[in-house]
Amino acid sequence: MNPVVSVLFVGGVLGIGAYVVAVLDRAFGPVSRGPRDWFVWPIRRAAFLAVQRRTETERPDAEAWILAPALLAALAAAGLTAVPVTPSLAVADVSAGVVLFGAAMIIVMVAVFLQGWSPNSLFPLIGAYRFAAMALSFGIPFSLVVLTTAIPAESLSVGAIVASQEGLWNVVRQPLGLPVYLVTGAAVAFWGPFRIPEGTDLAGGAVLEASGSARAVWRIARAGVLVTLSVMGAAIFLGGHLGPVLPGWAWTALKTLVLLAVFVWSGHAFARMRVERFVWFGWVVLLPVALVDVFASGILAL
Amino acid sequence: MGLRGWLGRLAVGVEVPVFPVVGGGAREAIQDLRLRPELELVDSPRHAAVMLVVGAFPPGDVDGLAQVHDQLAPPRRTVRWGGEPVASLPDAVVVDGGEDAVVAAITETFAELMSDPDRGEPPILPDVDPVEWRGVGPYGQGGMGMTGGTPYGRPMAERGPARDGLELDRVPITIGPWLPTLPPGLRLDVVFQGDVLQEVEVGPAPIVPGEGSDLFVRALTEPVPIAEMELARARHHLRLLAEILRVEDLAVASRRALRLVHGIRPGATGEVERLAAALVRAGLYALALRGVGRLDRPPPGPAARATGVAVDARSDDPEYRKLGFEPVTVEGGDAAARVRLLLAETVQALELAAKAGPARAGGRGVVEAPRGRLEVGEPPPERTLLDLAPEVLVGQEWGDAVTIIHTLDLDVEAAGREIPV
Amino acid sequence: MSVLGVTAIVVFGVASVVTGWLVFRTDSMVRAAYWLMASFVGVGAMLVTLDSQFLGLILILMMAGEMTIMAIFMVMYMMNPAGLNPMVMVHQHRTAIAAGVGSFLLLATVALVADFPADPAPAGADPTAELGFELLGRSMLVFESAGVALLAVMIGAVAVAGKWGRFGDADAGSVEPPLDPEEAAS
Repeated sequence: MNPVVSVLFVGGVLGIGAYVVAVLDRAFGPVSRGPRDWFVWPIRRAAFLAVQRRTETERPDAEAWILAPALLAALAAAGLTAVPVTPSLAVADVSAGVVLFGAAMIIVMVAVFLQGWSPNSLFPLIGAYRFAAMALSFGIPFSLVVLTTAIPAESLSVGAIVASQEGLWNVVRQPLGLPVYLVTGAAVAFWGPFRIPEGTDLAGGAVLEASGSARAVWRIARAGVLVTLSVMGAAIFLGGHLGPVLPGWAWTALKTLVLLAVFVWSGHAFARMRVERFVWFGWVVLLPVALVDVFASGILAL
Repeated sequence: MGLRGWLGRLAVGVEVPVFPVVGGGAREAIQDLRLRPELELVDSPRHAAVMLVVGAFPPGDVDGLAQVHDQLAPPRRTVRWGGEPVASLPDAVVVDGGEDAVVAAITETFAELMSDPDRGEPPILPDVDPVEWRGVGPYGQGGMGMTGGTPYGRPMAERGPARDGLELDRVPITIGPWLPTLPPGLRLDVVFQGDVLQEVEVGPAPIVPGEGSDLFVRALTEPVPIAEMELARARHHLRLLAEILRVEDLAVASRRALRLVHGIRPGATGEVERLAAALVRAGLYALALRGVGRLDRPPPGPAARATGVAVDARSDDPEYRKLGFEPVTVEGGDAAARVRLLLAETVQALELAAKAGPARAGGRGVVEAPRGRLEVGEPPPERTLLDLAPEVLVGQEWGDAVTIIHTLDLDVEAAGREIPV
Repeated sequence: MSVLGVTAIVVFGVASVVTGWLVFRTDSMVRAAYWLMASFVGVGAMLVTLDSQFLGLILILMMAGEMTIMAIFMVMYMMNPAGLNPMVMVHQHRTAIAAGVGSFLLLATVALVADFPADPAPAGADPTAELGFELLGRSMLVFESAGVALLAVMIGAVAVAGKWGRFGDADAGSVEPPLDPEEAAS
C-alpha cells in the first residue's frame, strides 16, 4: 500500500474507532441523557480538553511526559498495520504479523510506565508500578493465546491465519483462546475491571496529573489500543473478513464492533480488581488455561 | 474569535468537570450532586474546570485550599456554595440556595469561562521552588557520590527495612484532607514504602463540624419513632454503599444506590435485594473486597456484627423486642462481610420500619446509631473507629487502605462532635 | 538490496549507537533504561530490514519487558525516590574505559578479519519458516530439550505459586511477618 494512504488509513481507523469507543462508553455508562447525547458528547468532551491548558508539576520528566501518549497511539497504530481488512488490503501483512502485534501490545507497558513516572508525583507512580506488575502477569498468557492461532495456519502472518479459518473459525477450534484473549486484552488496555493503574483509589492514577491535550491524547490512544485489540481479535478468532454475502471489509467492521462492544460493556459491568488478586489470577488461572490452549491446538494440528 | 473560542463554545453542554472541596456539614449535599447529569465530580483537580467549595471551614486561611486551587488546570473558576466566603479563595463566585441554584451557577460559570477561555482565575500562590536548589556534584545530583544531598531543600528519602527483609525508600507524604477518594476532611500523614503504608497518623481536620442529623442523639433522652430511625439507618447505609461502590469503580451501581436513598419506603426491600444480587454479579466481593481488612476485635457496631458477633444496642430495647428484632450478623470480618452486612441491615431496617407503625423507642441513654453504639458519657462510635484507623491501616497497600477506610465508615466530622447530655 | 533498505539500515544503526551512548549521558535511571531499550529497538529494526522479521520483532518484544523490570529494580534499590532526583549514571571510570576500548577493538578486529559469506539469500525465501526448520531440524534436540525444560519450570512455578498443595493451603496457619524487623528477629 502507498505510504501516504497507509498513514491515512491507519489514522482513520483509529480515529473512527476511538469515536465509536467513546459513543459505546457513554451508552453503557452511568450517565443517561438520551441517545443523541451519546454521539455529541465525545466531541464536546474533546473540545473541552482542547481548551483546557496542560498543567506542569514540579520537576517533571517533561520529554517523557509528552512522549508517553504519543507512544501509546503509535503502538495502537503499529499493531493495526498487520491486520488484513479485506483479502487483498493490509497495510503490511508481514510474515511475522502476530509477533509485530504482540510486541506492540507489550510495549504498552513502557508507555504506561512513562506516563505514570514522568509527572514526579506519588499516585501516578504507584499506578505505573501497578501496571508493571499486571503486565508481567498477563503478558505470557496474552502472547500464548495470540501465537496459538498461528498453529493451524502454519504461519505467523495474520493474512494466513485468517485464510486458515475458512470453514472453521478459531473461536470454535480453540475455545479457550477467545476468552483468555478478551480478559488479557482488556488488561492490556487497562480497561474495566483492570483499570488498576488508573483506579479511583489513586484518584486517576497514571493520568492524575495530566490535563488538557495530554489527557485527550492519552484517552484517544487508549481507545485506539482497544480498537487494535478488537480488529486483531476479529481477525485471529472470528475469521476476519471471511463471511457470506457482505463484502470483506463489512465483516471485519462488524466483528470488530462486536468485540469492541464486549470490551466497553465490561468496563461498566465489573468492579476494579485488586492488583494482588490480578497477579494471582494471571499466574494461577490464565497461564495454565493458555498452556492448555497451546497443547490442545498442537495435538489437534498433528 | 479564535480557534480556542470556537472550541470553547463547542465544549459548553458537556457535563462540567467539578472538583469538590467538602467542609463541615456538606457530605450528603455533595453526594447528591453526583446524580446531576449537568455535572461530573472528578477526583483530581487537574481534570476540573470548576472548584466547588461547600460546607463550614474555620475562619482565616484554610490549609491547602490555595494549593488545590492552583492545581486546577487553567482556565478555572471557583464557586462557593452556602456559608461564608473562604479567605483563601478571594475570587470565588458565591452562591446561596439549593441544589438547583448551585448547578445553575456552575453551568453558567462554566459557559462564561468557555466563551473566553483566557479569562480564568490567576494562580493564588507564587510559582517558585519551596527552597532554592542546592545541588552539588557534577550532575547536580545533590551529593558527592552517585546520589544524595538535599535537592530543593527536601532531604532524600531514607531507606528503611521493609517487612520482607529488603531495604526500600521511605516516602513521607500527607494525603487529604481534600482528596475526594477519602471521606471529607480526612487527612492522613503517612509513610509509604512502595505502596505499603508503614506509618499512619490521622491529622487535624481543617473543617468545622456541621449540625449533623440529631435523630439518634435525640433518641438517647426521649422516645422517637422507630420507623423514622430505621429509615434514617437505611438511608445512611445506602449512602455509604454508594461511596464504597464509587471507589471500587462501579459507577453505575453507585448511582443506583444513591437513587435508592431518595426512593426508599418502609417495607420496599425488593430494589435493595436486586441491587445486592447485581453487586455479586459485578464481582464486587470476588474481585475487590474478599479478604481485605480483616478485623479481630472491632468496636461494637456494624464492624463487630460483620465478624459474627451479635452486639446491637437494639437487642436490649423492649420496643424493638416487641417487633421481633434479632441482630443481623455476617461471618468473615473482612470488607466483603462489612458490605454484605450493610445490605442485610438495610433490608432489615426497611422491614422494621414497615412493622413498627407509630411505635417509639429511646430515652434509655444508649442507642444503636448507624455507625455503632451511641451512649451517654461515652465517645461517639465515629471517634472510636477513627482512633482504630492507624492501627488497622498500617501494613496495607494503598488500594486496600482506601477500601478499609470506606468499609469502616470513617467520618472525621462526626468524630469531632460531642454528645450533648 | 535496495538503496532504501541500505539507508534504513544505516539510519537504524546510527540511531542504535546514539541511543546507546545516551544511556550513559542521562542523569535518570528510568531514562537510561529506556534509552537502552531504544537502542535495542534500533537493532531489532535492522534485523527486520534484513528480512529477519521474526528475530527482530521478538528482540523488541523481549526488551520492552526486560527494560521496564530493570528500571523498576534500579529505582527500588537506589536511594532515590522515583528516580527523579538527578544522579550520575557512570562509575568505576577506569575499568569502564578499559572494558569499552577492549570490546571495541575485539569487535572491530572480528569485523575486519572474519570472512563473511557474500551469497545473497534466494528470492522468495521465507526467513521465519527457514528459522523454524533450522530450530526444529538440525538443532531440534537442543531446542526441544530447552523448550521442555522451560515449560516444566513454568508449570512448576505455577504449582509452587499456587496456594493449595498436598498438605493443605500454603498459608494455612501462617502469620504475616511483623512490620518491625527487630521484632521479627526476636
